[in-house]
Parts: sequence; structure tokens; C-alpha cells
Amino acid sequence: MARRPSGRSGAGAAAVAVGALLTLTACGGEAGGPPTLTWYVNPDAGGQERIAEQCTEESGGAYQIELQRLPRDAPGQREQLVRRLAGNDTSVDLMSLDPPFIPEFAAAGYLADVPPDVADEVTEDVVEGALAGATWKDELVTLPFWANTQLLWYRQSVAEEAGLDMEQPVTWEQVVDAAEQTGTTVAVQGTRAESMTVWVNALIESAGGQILENPEAEATEYELGIASEAGRRAAEIIEDIADSGVGGPQLATANEDINASMFESEDAGFMVNWPFVYQRAAGYVEAGNLERSEFEDYGWALYPRAVEGEESRPPYGGINIGVSALSENVDLAFEAGRCIVQAEHQKQYFLSDGNPPAKASVYDDPEVVEQYPMAETIRESLENAAPRPQTPYYNEISVGIQRTWQPPSSVDPQTTPERSEELITDVLRGEALL
Amino acid sequence: MDSQNYSTREKVLWWVVGLLIVAYALVPVAWIVSLSLKRGADLSSQTFLPPDPTTENYELILSGSASDLFLPALRNSIGISLIATLIAVVLAMFAAYAIARLDFPGKKVILTTALAVAIFPVISIVTPLFNVWRTIGLYDTWPGLIIPYMSLTLPISIWTLSAFFREIPWEMEQAAQVDGATSWQAFRKVIVPLAAPGVFTTAIIAFFIAWNDFVYGISLTSTEASRPVPAALALFTGASQFEEPTGAISAAAVIVTIPVVVLVLIFQRRIVAGLTNGAVKG
Amino acid sequence: MLAGPAFVVMLAVTAYPILQATYDSLFAYRLTDPESRRFVGLNNYAVILTDPVWWNAFGVTVLITVVTVLVELVLGFALALVMMKALRTIRPVLRTAILIPYAIITVVSAFAWFFAFDITSGFVNPTFGLEGTDWFASFPTAVSVIMMSEIWKTTPFISLLILSGLAQVPEDLQEAAKVDGATWWQRMWKVTIPNMKAAIMVALLFRTLDAFRIFDNVFIMTGGAAGTETLSFGAYRQTISRLEIGLGSAYSVLLFLSVVAIALGFIKIFKVDLSQARGEK
Repeated sequence: MARRPSGRSGAGAAAVAVGALLTLTACGGEAGGPPTLTWYVNPDAGGQERIAEQCTEESGGAYQIELQRLPRDAPGQREQLVRRLAGNDTSVDLMSLDPPFIPEFAAAGYLADVPPDVADEVTEDVVEGALAGATWKDELVTLPFWANTQLLWYRQSVAEEAGLDMEQPVTWEQVVDAAEQTGTTVAVQGTRAESMTVWVNALIESAGGQILENPEAEATEYELGIASEAGRRAAEIIEDIADSGVGGPQLATANEDINASMFESEDAGFMVNWPFVYQRAAGYVEAGNLERSEFEDYGWALYPRAVEGEESRPPYGGINIGVSALSENVDLAFEAGRCIVQAEHQKQYFLSDGNPPAKASVYDDPEVVEQYPMAETIRESLENAAPRPQTPYYNEISVGIQRTWQPPSSVDPQTTPERSEELITDVLRGEALL
Repeated sequence: MDSQNYSTREKVLWWVVGLLIVAYALVPVAWIVSLSLKRGADLSSQTFLPPDPTTENYELILSGSASDLFLPALRNSIGISLIATLIAVVLAMFAAYAIARLDFPGKKVILTTALAVAIFPVISIVTPLFNVWRTIGLYDTWPGLIIPYMSLTLPISIWTLSAFFREIPWEMEQAAQVDGATSWQAFRKVIVPLAAPGVFTTAIIAFFIAWNDFVYGISLTSTEASRPVPAALALFTGASQFEEPTGAISAAAVIVTIPVVVLVLIFQRRIVAGLTNGAVKG
Repeated sequence: MLAGPAFVVMLAVTAYPILQATYDSLFAYRLTDPESRRFVGLNNYAVILTDPVWWNAFGVTVLITVVTVLVELVLGFALALVMMKALRTIRPVLRTAILIPYAIITVVSAFAWFFAFDITSGFVNPTFGLEGTDWFASFPTAVSVIMMSEIWKTTPFISLLILSGLAQVPEDLQEAAKVDGATWWQRMWKVTIPNMKAAIMVALLFRTLDAFRIFDNVFIMTGGAAGTETLSFGAYRQTISRLEIGLGSAYSVLLFLSVVAIALGFIKIFKVDLSQARGEK
């Protein structure tokens, strides 16, 4: 190729540029030094990078952790990781995993067995929801790192105007009524994305049902609980929000981000969302884009109830740390994982990135309480939180739900739950596309 | 056509029409530039111009937290696109020379194959490629993208170059051969300088196509080892995982748009000639 | 042989993978569960072809293809006429301006249009007094924005092809028609267009097949929501998201066959000799 006849100007210049680039990329590898552990992380505000540096330091030269970034949305993170692991890639050591996809990784044998001593240490004092999310078939398969949950956010002034007592648990009906009465919005995630499944799951669970009744069975034998009383109740709530118009004009494309900005605007009333909204609003006050008085109007409570008198089951999210079974340094990776998830780091991560800890004790820390006055509510929410279906076929179930429950204006309690259950059943049997 | 004389009214009319077309072409570009200069909190202002211009988005992707994602992607995109362009143009040069110059039965077959490859739905072959790549270790590497990029860059290079080569006065080559030069020498000494502009134009067009790829980019890569910019754009993140990185995406979009705009500004006449030559004329 | 390497490379990067896909399409095979891979014959094809999801994606793809190509053809023709007739001084400006959309990355164009129409950050709604319109919430509006970005990005290509076709229409024919008293419109239909049929056909064929593969815009703007899933997007979802290699390969093969059918149909119906149009004249 070197002796090809070439155009003097263009191709020549291109060749030089290519050569330069090749040399640039060639000097990437390093020899010697402690073994490098590669940690695939979900994008954040930089907190995981800091923890990686601290653990590298703490290890005293036993290992060094290097970061690789995954896509922003959880399904995208899963795609990237699965493609690597299915390709027998030994360069993956640690992974930040979104809980719903953990069973798939565990069932495929991608996760190394957690040594009993590590398991004992990392599960100590961990909130209920986070523990369930780190487990597959009663075995701990990942290390609980941080645990997310949604709260009901409200404007104190609006609740007051509507005469809603937020000291008491509220139902979705009360929230929607209050918003209608005051001409404000209820911000919910109605877009076709993972967040739709989060919402539907929380509604069905809160109504006393379960999307998947027997996650331990074979996929073709799954019994779904969508076409049920609880499923219809969930559909009624969504229908109510769509019909009453309190979801705003952007209901069908609203994600967490759009919801957060809806809640910052004038006609804000209520919102279900993750705690990041608080940190974000605080930042906007600093930047002068949000009145301090508006920020001080922010209130929070436990996720709304689906049925009066029944405790709500708020969404559960977060990240757990998995160690790849293909890693060449499994033991070291568990050492590093143990370091990453220690309480001190969970606290630091909460303070810097706004992601709530998996360990209950961190919520009592004075610094945490000072920065997050709602810390106690988050912990309480986590104790009640319901994980999404724990199955290796989670992607199928989730996309099936998004397909049938979205847009919210199409949801009908008479037909949607049935249609949803039918579609997912067909897909799991390999009889339908998704 | 050029001999027409325009009245003042017509002139004004043409200017108006011209401005409309320029606006059509540039408004979306201007919009993304404007977004890239907006502060995160100003995004919902919905104004066309940034109320309080800032370079913070550029800092974010060039030196801030998004730079780990963007800079390697930029390097990958430049490197992979250039190499893919180079290989495609070199291979196409030989093929086009044969097509334009020699009489052989496979001529039509090659042009038809090029056509078939050009219309190929690339998404169809992503899965088998992924499967092969992961077994032979090309997944998430530069060659792992460069090779499939041939399906994008080679066909257009072959046509464009064949068209250019057909316009070269080949008698000169024969004259050189008569003077005792070998076929190869004649090709190199006489034809190459004549062909260079066409080759260069072809390279620009092929580069645009490689630079534009998204399907291969998101399917056959998974880290900054090889992920190109279009794929990286889809992975940007805001201040938290739930916030949309509109500003960072816009800034990155502007940066990757600058080189193509520069190329267009400098070489517009040649690019037009190359595109139309390759497609229609012969 | 000089043309050999190019030929081999082209085959290696397309023919081989599609054959592999055809083979894979006969199995039920999930990437995360390689042990349960089993031969199912043509079952995957039966599943796809009896599923409304496929036909819906097919319909959306055809709709996008037909509308964008027709609009681009008209718009591209108009642009080409303007570029040919415009004042000499502004011609290069126009040419440069319209080349910019052509050269911009499709993903960037998709983002630009997406952000412009976005209900919370876009300038389109306030500019046109459409506050509260969520363009990406329902099919007609979402698909319109997708088509607009596609049209914006690719019209320049088609207009350049038409421009070069226009330049090939013999001047004396035009003059003769003028002398005969033909109107502008008559000349256009009777002289100009018939004489540049080849250029139009090539432009049409290429844009049709290109539009039929639309993926980037859909991926960025709606992710397939609001019923905007196209065939390419569907193939991506089955193979990359669902990891169903078997089903996804069958989907891919069907998409490939659709493209082949369109190409053959074009060549048969319009009798375009492509090797001729493409430089064999």
C-alpha cells in the first residue's frame, strides 16, 4: 500500500495525518505496574471516577482502576456490556449494573460468584429494596452500591391551596384532584422508555399486584400479573392523568429531565421523580435561573398510593457492582468492589452526585441530613420500594410494557392490561416481534 | 443561459430567492450553534438566540467531564474515516482505471456489484459482522470499523473515479508507452498527475460518507477504543444520568460540523463536479 | 487484475455477512443463551411475516420513502433551476449553502431538528405560536419532523444530480421550442424533462433506496415511539437490543430482500440501464 500512486496534494496529506494518528494510538499500552482493573460505569457527574482514584490509592499498589463509560440509558448500558461479555471479552472487570438487568447477567453466567466474606460485608445494613435488586435466585450476585427511589415532590403552596394534608399519605386521585383544582401539573414519565416501565411497575405493585409472578420459572412458563385487578387499577390511574390533562401537553414524551423542568416552571404542582431533581434545582438557584422562594416551596413525601389504605410500593433503581466471571483478576476485582461500595464512599457519592446510598446508616450522617433534608423520606421509600421484575428476560417484559402502555392517552383499563400481557407472553414464546 | 440580462427587479427577486435558500440550508445549523452557546438553565427559554452566551458546553466536551467521551471519539472518527477513505480510494483507483481504460468482460459486473453494495441495507449485516468480529477479535477496534466502511466508501469511489478517469486524455499514456515507458511508468508519470484532482475529490466525498456513519458506529464498538463521534453523540450525558445533555451534544455537533463546512467552502466546485460526474455523466 | 481487490473487498463486506445472516436466520438463537440454540427452519420468517409489527414498520418505511423522495424531487428540481438561472454572482453562494446540509452528519441533522421541535427547548413552537404542541407524541407530527430532517439533509444531493442533468439538455432544442411558441411549462414537460430522464431516474433510485434504509433520524428523535419504527430500526431492535440473533437475522434478510425487490422493480419498470447511467455511456 505504501507505494501506491497517489494524488500529490490530498492523498499525501491524508497519509501523513493517518501516520501521525497511528503513532498516537500505538503508545496507549502500558507494561509493568499493578494490574489494571477496568470498571465500566454508567455516566454520572464524576463521582465514580473519584471513587476509582481513591480505591486505587487505598489499595497501596495492589491494583489500579480504569474507567470506561457506558451509554446514558440502562438498556443501552446492558447492550454494550452483553455484547462485550458474549464476545468473551476478558478486559471487563467491574461493572456498574442497573438492577433489572442483573438476573440476565447472572443467568448467562457473566457474573463471578461473590466470596462469602465480601457478601457479608457489603450486605450489612443495606436497605431492603437494594438487597433484593442485588440478588438472583436467593444468591447475592452483585455488591449493592447505591439505591434510588422516587418520591412524590410537591409545591407546598399548591398543596396548601388545594387543602391537601401532605403529612398524611396521599393517593394518586388526591394528587390529580389537587392539581386540577389548582390548575397545576402532575409531572410523570409518560415517554416510551424504561421510565414508563418504572411507573407501571410501581403502580401495579402499589395496587397489590406483580408484573411477573414466578420469575424463577422458564420464560415460556411465566405467569404474568398484568391482566389483573392491580393492572386495571394501574391503567385507571394513568388514564385519569391523561384524561384530566394534568400531565401537561408533553405527557407522551416526558422523561425525568422534562419532568424536572416542568416542576421548576410556574404551573408546577406535583411530580414523581428521583432525588436528583433537588440537587438540580439547588444548582439553578445558584445560577440565578430559579427563584429561591420557588426552591423553598419544594416539598416531598412518599410515593402516592394506588389504593387508599394500602402502602405504596415506590420505584427502586440504583446501581450495583458486578464482577465479570471472565475477568483475569476476579479476586482483586472483588477487593476493589468492596472498596468502592464502602459506606464512606456511598456517603461521598450521595453528597457529590446526589445518588442515595444503599446502606441505611449513611442516611443518619449529619452531613447527609444537612444537604438532603429528605434523606429520611428516601430511606423510608427504599424500605418499601418494589424492584422491577427480576428475570433474565427483563428487556422483553419492559419493552412489551412500553409498547402497550404508551402513549398514556391510549391507556384503557378495559383493554391495555390484557393486550400488554398477551404481547409479552407471545414475545417470550418467540411468537412475536418487539 | 448566461447571456441573459436581468432587470433590477429580477435581480432583487433573485437575491430574495437566494437568501431564502441560504436560510433554508443554514437555519438548522445556526440553531445547533445557538444551543451550544446556551447555558443549561437557558435551554427552556426556547429563544432562537442564546440569551446569555457561554462557552461552558465547549469546555465541558474539550476539557471537562465529557472530554473523556468526546476527544477519543473525535480521534477515532478522524483516524478511521481517513484510513477508510484512503483504502477505498486506492482500491477504487485500480478498479476505475481498469474500467475506464481496459476492455474486459467483468466491467459491467464490477459496476453492478458496486451498485448492489451501495444500496445494501447496512443494518442487515451488522449482526453477522458482530458475530464474526467477536470471534476473531475485531470487535471494538479500528479495523473492525474500517473494513465494513468499505461497503460505504468503495462503491461511490469507484463510480466517481471511473467518471473522472474517462475524461483523461489517455492518448498521452500511449504516447509515453511508444516512447519506451512501461505500462506502469506511463500510468505513474503521465496519468497520475492528470488524475490527482479527481482522486482528491473522490477522497473528500468518501470521507464525508465515512464521517457520517452511525449504524456501524453504534453496533460494532463499545468503548472509546474505537467509538466514532456520531455514536458518541448518542451517549452523552448531562449533570446526572437523568438530565439531557442538550448543550454538550450541540457543542460536539458543532465541532464535528466545522471540518465538513471548511471542506465544502474550499472545495465546493470540485465536490459538485465529483458528485454529479459519478452519478450521471460519463 | 486491477479491479480484483475492490471487487473482492466489496463482496467480502456484504455478500459474506448476508449469507451468514441467512444461515443464522434458521435458528432460534439468543446471544445470552447460546446453549439453547436450535434449528427452527423458516419459523422465524413465519413469525415476522405474520406479525403486524413488521407490516407496520414496512408501511412507515414506505410512507417515509415515498413522501421524502417526492418532496425532494420537486424541491431539488426547483433548487436546480434556481441554481442554473440565478445571477452569476450568487450561484457559488447557493451551491456552497446547499452543500452544507449534504455534508453534515445525519445524526447531527437529526439532533438539530429534534431540538428545534422539542416542546421544552425548541424555538419552533414559540416562533409559530404553537405552544403546547408535542411534535413527538403522535405519529403524524413525529413522522413529519423525521421526514423534514431527512429532506433537509438529502435534497442537495438530488438537486445537484438534477442540475447536471439539466446542463445536458441540448440548448438548441430549447431554442427551437421557444421559436415554436411553446410556453415555459410546455418546454419543461416536452423538452427538458424527457431529455434528462436518465439523471432523474438515477437520482430517484438512489434516494429511494437510501430513504428506505432510514435509521439515524428515527433512532435519535423518537427511538421508535409514536409508531415511527422503520424496518432498519426494527432490525436493530431485534438483534442489538433483544439479542435475538436468529429472529433478527431473519428480519435483516427480509429487509435486504425488500431492498433488492425495489431495485429490481425500478430497473424493470423504468428500464433504467444503471451501468449506463452510472458511467458506462
